[in-house]
Amino acid sequence: MSGLASTQLARGMRDLLPEEMARVRRVESAFSQTCRAWGYGEIRTPVIEPLHLFTAAGTLSPQTLDRVYSFLDWDGWSGERVVLRPDSTIAAARLYAERLDGGRIAKLFYSQPVLRFTDDGSSREEWQCGVELIGDTGRAGDVELVSLALEALAALALPDVQVRLSHAGIVRGVLAAAGLAPEEQSAAYDRLLDGDLAVADEVEARLPQLAAPLRLLFEIEGEGSGYIANLRAALAGAVPALAVPFDELAFVVESLEARGLAPRIAAVLARRFEYYSGIVMGFQSAGRRIGAGGRYDELIGLVGGTRVPASGFALFVPPLIDLIAAGPADAAPALTVEAASATPRAAAAAYEAARALRAAGIDVETIAPSAVRAGGRLRCADAPPRYVLERDGAAAAFERITDVVAALERAR
Amino acid sequence: MIRVALPTGDLRGDAAALLDAAGAGIPDYAAGSRALRFPLADGGVARVFREKDIPVQVALGNYDLGICGLMWVEELTQRFPRHDVVRLRDLGFGATSLWLAAAADTCDASLRIVSEYGSIAVTVARRMRLPRYRVFPVLGAADAYPPEDADVVLVAAGDAAEVEAHGLRPLWRVLDSSAWLIGNRRSLAAKDLSGVLARLLAGVVPPAVRPGRDGAPSLSVPPALPLRPAAVRPRSVLRLALPDGHQQPDAVAVLDAAGIRVRGYDEGNIVRRPQIDVDGVEVKVIRPQDMAQQVALGQFDLAITGRDWLFDHLVRFPSSPVEQVVDLGRCRYGLAAIVRDVRADTVAGAVREWRARAPLASIRVASEYANIADHFARERHLGRYSVIPIAGASEGFVPDDAEILIEGIDTGSSVRANRLTVLERFFESTNCVIANRERPRGPLRAVFDALAARLQAGALAPAAARGA
Repeated sequence: MSGLASTQLARGMRDLLPEEMARVRRVESAFSQTCRAWGYGEIRTPVIEPLHLFTAAGTLSPQTLDRVYSFLDWDGWSGERVVLRPDSTIAAARLYAERLDGGRIAKLFYSQPVLRFTDDGSSREEWQCGVELIGDTGRAGDVELVSLALEALAALALPDVQVRLSHAGIVRGVLAAAGLAPEEQSAAYDRLLDGDLAVADEVEARLPQLAAPLRLLFEIEGEGSGYIANLRAALAGAVPALAVPFDELAFVVESLEARGLAPRIAAVLARRFEYYSGIVMGFQSAGRRIGAGGRYDELIGLVGGTRVPASGFALFVPPLIDLIAAGPADAAPALTVEAASATPRAAAAAYEAARALRAAGIDVETIAPSAVRAGGRLRCADAPPRYVLERDGAAAAFERITDVVAALERAR
Repeated sequence: MIRVALPTGDLRGDAAALLDAAGAGIPDYAAGSRALRFPLADGGVARVFREKDIPVQVALGNYDLGICGLMWVEELTQRFPRHDVVRLRDLGFGATSLWLAAAADTCDASLRIVSEYGSIAVTVARRMRLPRYRVFPVLGAADAYPPEDADVVLVAAGDAAEVEAHGLRPLWRVLDSSAWLIGNRRSLAAKDLSGVLARLLAGVVPPAVRPGRDGAPSLSVPPALPLRPAAVRPRSVLRLALPDGHQQPDAVAVLDAAGIRVRGYDEGNIVRRPQIDVDGVEVKVIRPQDMAQQVALGQFDLAITGRDWLFDHLVRFPSSPVEQVVDLGRCRYGLAAIVRDVRADTVAGAVREWRARAPLASIRVASEYANIADHFARERHLGRYSVIPIAGASEGFVPDDAEILIEGIDTGSSVRANRLTVLERFFESTNCVIANRERPRGPLRAVFDALAARLQAGALAPAAARGA
């Protein structure tokens, strides 16, 4: 036999213990309360989707497609494969195209995992809290999403939250002006994301008249509308296709600045997602990536719907649960309710007493996890004395407990 | 002990010559002996496998070194990128290429790709950004599928002329392959293989540079295929699939008994499209293992295959619309769970024995019937197990390379001769006629019913009636 295992946990998967799940629920709760307050409705998409949804050009990049979990389902005799959801935006776009495409604006949010193979020891299942705003919202939609994300993050009291913005059209416009074919543009874009500034040299070689301005674009992270104005002055004349991306980026940045926010501007933000077509956003806290998103105006048309402008973002749950401050510990139950003897009637008396106490708003447990009990103890018997209450000073609700026990005695 | 996996088939002669040149010749291997296990001069052991099984065996660590075609290593890589196989050296023989080829200039909206190299085909489709595709992984005869049963085939051939000899149009050379010496990563890291390695590498004649290519071979994918989508046209003939390989003589006997003549099918050479003397019917010869999926897809109306392969298909795809319509009663054998050096006489007892030795270790189940092996392991509660798909040459697999072998057995004489134990004979197979539950409509229905009735007439009488 082979493969002695030290753990039976599948590679790349993670268990979450009660205290970690409490943090997850805090993140999800803050996120969903914020989304509902903004008029968004929750959706959930299936964990299994058809592979072809993700393979069309303009959806996921080849590098991401190489990492999806695809397989033949139990009824996959036709040869068409399915996939464990590698991306929620494409699944939401499919849902919109099939169920909601009636010309109205759809405001959707979700909390669900995406699954992608990793070989660096990182998790292969990543929970995300995401928002999709689908419909013709104009530039205000991008401002809304950045603002919504920041409000959800503020509810979690995260340290040092930063917004970074970009526009997919800027680098694409430059790469196209350099004469790169679409597939060469994707490869160059990915190299830039990996920090390979040799791409800038290659583009410069093709566009020598833009040498200095390209350094301004690729090597400087800007600090607001002034930087955009500088880029526009340096580049838009030589690459007219950049005018619209600069206008759209400036609109969002100026709107946020008017509210006292200070977004940073980067040339490239979105990694390995081909569907972004406009504003791209990234969120960081204490130097860690905690969220990303952007505009994807072509995607719904690519997955079978009519072309509808749309944008969205997702917050990444794993770094968020690391970064949020520890919440108050779950309060221990006020009382342990036990059967005084090992008889069915004593057990029934104990569970009935526990039900009555909980109905009165008192948290009780019927199985104590250890011999040490945080609150008092109520022992229940099938013969008098039926209820023996052992008081503990920590049981703040003792008066109400006494009332409930008295009522139980009277009922017997 | 050093363990080396050697290929049977096309590479055998050159591999034997390499061993001779290295001063490690194995005369019986060179002579084509049916034995599968040979001692090496310095105390190691060599084991003969079908070529496609060698990367799997080396990856599993069952063998330290192996010799096989690069395309089978690539097939493993595309399915399991983190495998433990290290490519050590191009051995300079067995040159061939993988080609994308077609027989027509049109295709389905969901491109049908057929290949023995299913994982490479999936990667090619993905990298081409095909919006919709279906890959049919087959065990052989892939070149026979286009144009009726596939749009594109990914097939091994020495050059474009060899592709064209199959009536196909070469579209793109995806990979250049040749025989490679491969090694297990952990063995190379921790075990002293220097003696065998040095001798094998000393025997290598440096390979010639292939025209038009330089550097290490890697997958090459075309930007697009010169095929245009075509509307689906209704068929005017009934399509019957007949098996090649060991089921062919029994299928010939059935057809003879039914009074059906298929010219070209009963002769020595395999003719993929033989002529049948039944009006309104056309015949194609493919592997029996691949028939159930083709019938499920509606590409064939009737097929003669084995009940074992129908079972293998149905345990993988329970909602498949394929069913048996005639039990032909020939080609009879059982599927059994075979072990060696186990005291228990039941599967449950053997599992207890293995678990007592290593509670968390994976029980290895080797079989040509990968889906049945998986089904068997689940149903018999093996706990942690792994299925090792093999292409053949299964003798001697247990106990060194697997704990259980799921294998077809007839009288059990070879099992006893090899001191093996049958723990459970769990399925009886015969050859049979299969069809899609959705029968052909229109005029083809009468042709279907008539042909099925004639094949029924050619079936052996049930065993009880024969007094067997």
